[in-house]
Amino acid sequence: MESIVLFGLLFLFLFLGVPVAVSLGLSSVLVIAFLSVDSVSSVALQLLNASQKYTLLAIPFFILASTFMSTGGVAKRIIRFSVATMGHLRGGLAISSVFACMLFAALSGSSPATVVAIGGIAIAAMRQVGYTKDFAAGVIANAGTLGILIPPSIVMVVYAAATDVSVGRMFLGGVIPGLLAGVMLMTVIYIYARIKNMPKREFAGFQEILESAASASWGLLLIIIILGGIYSGVFTPTEAAAVAAVYSFLIATLIYRDMGPLKDVPWKTAGESYSQSAMRNLGAIVTKFPMTFFHSETRSVMVDGAKTTIMLMFIIVNALVFSHVLVSERIPDLITDLMLGAGFEWWQFLIVVNIILLIGGQFMEPSGLLLIVAPVVFPIAMQLGIDPIHLGIMMIVNMEIGMITPPIGLNLFVTSGITGMSMERVVKAAMPFCAVLFVFLILVTYIPIISTWLPTLMMGPEIITR
Amino acid sequence: MKKISKLVDRLEEDFIAIILGLMVIVTFTQVVARYGFNAGWGSALEITQVLFAWLTLFGMSYGIKRGFHLGVDILIRRFPKRMFKACAVFGALACIVYGITLISAEWISLFGFESGKGGAWKYWKLFYDAGFGMEAISLPEFIYGPDERLPRWIAYIMLPLGLALFVFRCTQALYAIVTGDREMIIASHEAEELIENNKNIVAD
Repeated sequence: MESIVLFGLLFLFLFLGVPVAVSLGLSSVLVIAFLSVDSVSSVALQLLNASQKYTLLAIPFFILASTFMSTGGVAKRIIRFSVATMGHLRGGLAISSVFACMLFAALSGSSPATVVAIGGIAIAAMRQVGYTKDFAAGVIANAGTLGILIPPSIVMVVYAAATDVSVGRMFLGGVIPGLLAGVMLMTVIYIYARIKNMPKREFAGFQEILESAASASWGLLLIIIILGGIYSGVFTPTEAAAVAAVYSFLIATLIYRDMGPLKDVPWKTAGESYSQSAMRNLGAIVTKFPMTFFHSETRSVMVDGAKTTIMLMFIIVNALVFSHVLVSERIPDLITDLMLGAGFEWWQFLIVVNIILLIGGQFMEPSGLLLIVAPVVFPIAMQLGIDPIHLGIMMIVNMEIGMITPPIGLNLFVTSGITGMSMERVVKAAMPFCAVLFVFLILVTYIPIISTWLPTLMMGPEIITR
Repeated sequence: MKKISKLVDRLEEDFIAIILGLMVIVTFTQVVARYGFNAGWGSALEITQVLFAWLTLFGMSYGIKRGFHLGVDILIRRFPKRMFKACAVFGALACIVYGITLISAEWISLFGFESGKGGAWKYWKLFYDAGFGMEAISLPEFIYGPDERLPRWIAYIMLPLGLALFVFRCTQALYAIVTGDREMIIASHEAEELIENNKNIVAD
């Protein structure tokens, strides 16, 4: 009875234009106030306690790191490196765009940010060498979804917090699927380019590869700091995220100088000797760098990061309240018994999860959806012997597809926004590559080893404590 | 009046930016202190957690004001105009009910339901009356009270305060929706501002 009221109210609120967070929170609060023996004080307590979850603390830091990394210069350098390494293949610019999206995804963890940062430069470049706008937009819209699959990823942190799986394991679990999805997209583009005889560039030479790699390396080092730090045991994921935030702040303001008071101060001007350049830079850093903390651009990045954190955390906090009510009304147990009683096999069960998420992903932000669905499906999956990492990665790939399918595909909106194309046209342009990701979803769903091999190799077999 | 509202905007933004900045600084220096100098202070984690709670609790009202809380508008956009407006008003009202019920659920006794469910206010009052201290955050020496630890009610005050602010902003939004100054209380997707700032950057 409570469960019907709970879900009924949730969907009613959701579709009548109440904010997602409030729909989750209000339906829980009303059920508790009118139908349960629990007190509303206990819900209020939940609002405070969500921030006590140590894992969730990584979210604001990763968001901030991502916001600093999206300030412009990093994307430019990554694209230069990608074009230098892959531009000489047939359809090379499109292939390097996918590669650039993969690299950027490893720095930002946000799909729409990846589309804007890489697409903003790459789409124009592809147009210049004669690719159609539809092709360019379709490639970017799809490759951009890798943002939530390639670690570090905020959705993975949320999944880890919801199911008590280790964040480190989830991050490792995303590596091979992320690479696989990228390679699949690249292969399809390559085959298409061979058939259509699309343009290729001159090989840029090893000199350019090395130079562009050096220039991009400051940004790419972040991946090594985060993943290396977590797996060598130096940092917890939360600490790694805080280090990443400080590091990307320094990269944007001090090394690449894309923002802040040192903006456009060159490291070395033509005709300047090394000692002169060192003195000038030292002077500039001593006199100008301290002002970075009060600079208007720093402030605006901080405010942006805070806004995204608030938006996400408000949903997460309320989704936690909702799942708290779910669990205290023993709804997951009921559904587990029902599913197991019906004799579901693991693969049939995964089809059900796929369908729920593909539909849910149309209407809801990934983190919130994950927090509602995970407490219900996780216990069943454990009963059926499904690996928790495999389940998590599969759920994330589902949400990726949700981002490029209408009616509410976030990446479609963003691509349509930056290119000025109509939604219908973007949907059509994204369709062929979306089909590739769909095949990828089937692979990830039914071949668990794709997601579980690397974490097991690096961290030993999973010990499930339930 | 416009000047004041701009100033308030700025203050709110400064507040959330500073909270986020402090969280990063506290956590980062703790990491450096621990691995670099084998030192550290026990209250760092608790401070970060309180700041984190404050960021969300204070920020949720700012989110209403700026309209960045996500919602689903796909259905109501298909409704006729008047019904759309009715839904927008309903959305704002739901937010107000949410805030008020969380502050105190006593209003349900007006409708003859069993009351005594409490809420954020009652919860906070409990800590205020009992005077429990935080686990690790201590006060500087010159203001030692009966307890050297920071009283919990100070850290928890953002709970009722944030909710009250939330109700206030929702009421403002409701007024704006009724008068037609604002379309609805939700944002239809999370990238609205991102798209706004990058509109047509690669269009022909």
